[in-house]
Amino acid sequence: MQLELGVVGGAAAFLAFAVALYGAVVGSVGAARRDARLITSARLSAVAGFLVATVAVVVMEAALLTDDFAVSYVAQHSRVASPVWVKVVTLWAALEGSILLWAWLLSGYTALVAALAPLNPLRPWAIAVMQGVQTFFFFVLAFLANPFKVLPNPPLDGPGPNELLQNHWMMAVHPLLMYLGFVGLTVPFAYALAALITRRPGAEWMVMTRGWTLTGWGFLSAAIVAGGWWSYEVLGWGGYWAWDPVENVSLMPWLTATAFVHSVQVQERRHMLKPWNVMLILLTFALSILGTFLTRSGVISSVHAFGSGPVGPAFLAFFVLVVLFSFGLLATRWEEVRDRAELDSLVSREGGMLGVNVLFLALTFAVLLGTLFPLIVEAISGDRVTVGPPFFDQVTSPLWLLVLALMGIGPLLPWRKAEEQSLRRNLAWLLAGFVVAGGLAWLLGVRKVYPALTVGLAGYNLVSLGLLLSGALVPRMRLAQRPALQVLRSYAHENRRRVGSMIVHFAVVVIAVGVTFSSGYRVDEQVRIDLGGSVGFEGYTLAATDLFVDRTPQRLSAGALVEVSRDGRLIKTLRPRLNVFGGTGRAIPTPDVLYTPWHDVYLSLNSTVGPDTTFVVLRVVKSPLVTWIWVGGAILVLGTAYALGGAPRRVPARAAVPAAAAREA
Amino acid sequence: MRKKVLYAVLGVAVLAAAGLMIARALQTSLVYFVLPSEYARDAASFEGRRIRLAGLVEPGSVSFDDAQLQLTFNVTDAIETYPVTYRGAPPDLFQENGGVVIEGRFEGGVFVGDNLLVKHSNDYHPPEDGQVDVEALKESLR
Repeated sequence: MQLELGVVGGAAAFLAFAVALYGAVVGSVGAARRDARLITSARLSAVAGFLVATVAVVVMEAALLTDDFAVSYVAQHSRVASPVWVKVVTLWAALEGSILLWAWLLSGYTALVAALAPLNPLRPWAIAVMQGVQTFFFFVLAFLANPFKVLPNPPLDGPGPNELLQNHWMMAVHPLLMYLGFVGLTVPFAYALAALITRRPGAEWMVMTRGWTLTGWGFLSAAIVAGGWWSYEVLGWGGYWAWDPVENVSLMPWLTATAFVHSVQVQERRHMLKPWNVMLILLTFALSILGTFLTRSGVISSVHAFGSGPVGPAFLAFFVLVVLFSFGLLATRWEEVRDRAELDSLVSREGGMLGVNVLFLALTFAVLLGTLFPLIVEAISGDRVTVGPPFFDQVTSPLWLLVLALMGIGPLLPWRKAEEQSLRRNLAWLLAGFVVAGGLAWLLGVRKVYPALTVGLAGYNLVSLGLLLSGALVPRMRLAQRPALQVLRSYAHENRRRVGSMIVHFAVVVIAVGVTFSSGYRVDEQVRIDLGGSVGFEGYTLAATDLFVDRTPQRLSAGALVEVSRDGRLIKTLRPRLNVFGGTGRAIPTPDVLYTPWHDVYLSLNSTVGPDTTFVVLRVVKSPLVTWIWVGGAILVLGTAYALGGAPRRVPARAAVPAAAAREA
Repeated sequence: MRKKVLYAVLGVAVLAAAGLMIARALQTSLVYFVLPSEYARDAASFEGRRIRLAGLVEPGSVSFDDAQLQLTFNVTDAIETYPVTYRGAPPDLFQENGGVVIEGRFEGGVFVGDNLLVKHSNDYHPPEDGQVDVEALKESLR
């Protein structure tokens, strides 16, 4: 090869760092001096930075796809025998590559902001902040975790990516969604800092970044659900959420971002909760960096930890810098940011939103505490401890229920102050929904507290959605004298955000029911089945008919054919198996699942399979309603997309940016 | 002004309740990670608690009753040794002198595990002379 890919890639990574640094410095100086030439130069550098970063990504993909083992990352994480899709996604299967991906997506978003965002006093600063963040990522990429090191004596083949990652196609999707979420939420963070720097803490920065915020939030939500599904399909214990540190650190920014998405509406409408909004978005960004530190530094051992190195301390330093800078800035601007108006009444829409903030912050705190507690204990007493799932379940379950309760009543409350009469009427309806649904569940045999309460709250929330829709539709129908469906269609078309939020809230109800039943009524057993024999399990008959071995160039698969039947009728033949991908030679248990709307039957092979095998040991898990978590996740994404689609037409007319800015000033 | 005081009092009450709840939940769900010798030194304080017992599988101690799916073996750090029972098949790479972490609790001198992890790290080799570097062993099993 004439020009080594590693050299080109390394140069691109370094150049991207230089461009980002240039943009951050020149952009800040230009914005501070209001020098149009400097500002334009920084803006162009944002686009240039994206192009350079794209070169780095293309080079890495080319190296992966052509098995160029002279590139260190390829040598460490790729393998000739892997199929093409695995090679493509190997880009984000390990530390260095995922930093490259993150930095590249960030540069892409920065370029988009530079190209698309309307000119205003915030934009130059926002771009400078984003380029500042880029500077950090490209610094790590170029100097601490360079994936483009050129190996003088390249190996002929590599070990391939982590087996758990190549064992499921979801791995192609989940990290991408996660980074799109984190990076998307960097945009409102950058605008919030810009608003603080320029002393314009009005609603302007949020109105302008609304689309970015919702997009980032949607991606993050999708990433969390997708991650749960990946873990369900791959990890072999029949669950989807283990309160593992890696899961927790992805949940925390989502929690604060969720609070933010709600809380911003109060500032748009009532010019209140300003300090909350700034703090929530600063926290969201800081937590995404903290999460990367915790999981990438190896301080908390976990299946996902990519090992140690200088990257962890770098992220910790960046986290401290971000917190000091952004909260320090907030402190100096406190007089301008703090709320002057007082809440008229807690029983109002804004009161409800305040409740959302408090609940989600409490959840964040609980998760953070549980995640960091082992570190604290080890630092103080030297004892090594883990905080088990019971802690998180005990602490968060009541809070989740309160979230569900608030979700039903909040949207029905008017701004400022609720009238007592309509409040009473609404509450009566909601309670009726709660009692009817909860009572039905009780009659059908749901005797556990949390599932029964959740079903009750699901009924309560469905009534709430019904009240919201009828409250919007009935007057319009009277006015327009048109059939309900037509009115609904035009209402949904004109109020995308509102209808989108209803869809999302409905999705949350679906997910909540799925979560509470699949965890509350889960049956988890180990069974032994002789080959040719069968055992009963929860009304099913599981018959191990045969063993099988399946060989592809990239992996060896050995498992059992298990016929799942009910009342003598064969429903499905499942193939729980062990996969070996070369490399480490470790056997990865690969479960197989019978999905049904009522419950899943999940089989994971717990014994090895060989020529003299006479029986197999299976872990068999039945989780009721677990499928509805994934269905709910899909509905949630659809609702978010609906709220985003076509938003610009109507919304700016109401909350026009210049008008809002004028009011604030 | 009275409203503010009311909110403050309410806030403090809620925080106190939450703090109590969190403290209690933490107390009951902390799982200590210990080697057999550490357990022996402080057995009373782990009474009835869920712990993660880590060590090496003692050679010659493994037996598996495949009809009952009962796996029994001894876990050791060369200072102390405890018998372990676990319901389930021996996992892949489970072997004598191999590192394991078992989660469960002691019931009458026997450790009853419900989760068994095999640690296939190459960082630790059992020494020939019987002298065990407990810290190194613990680190390798983490």
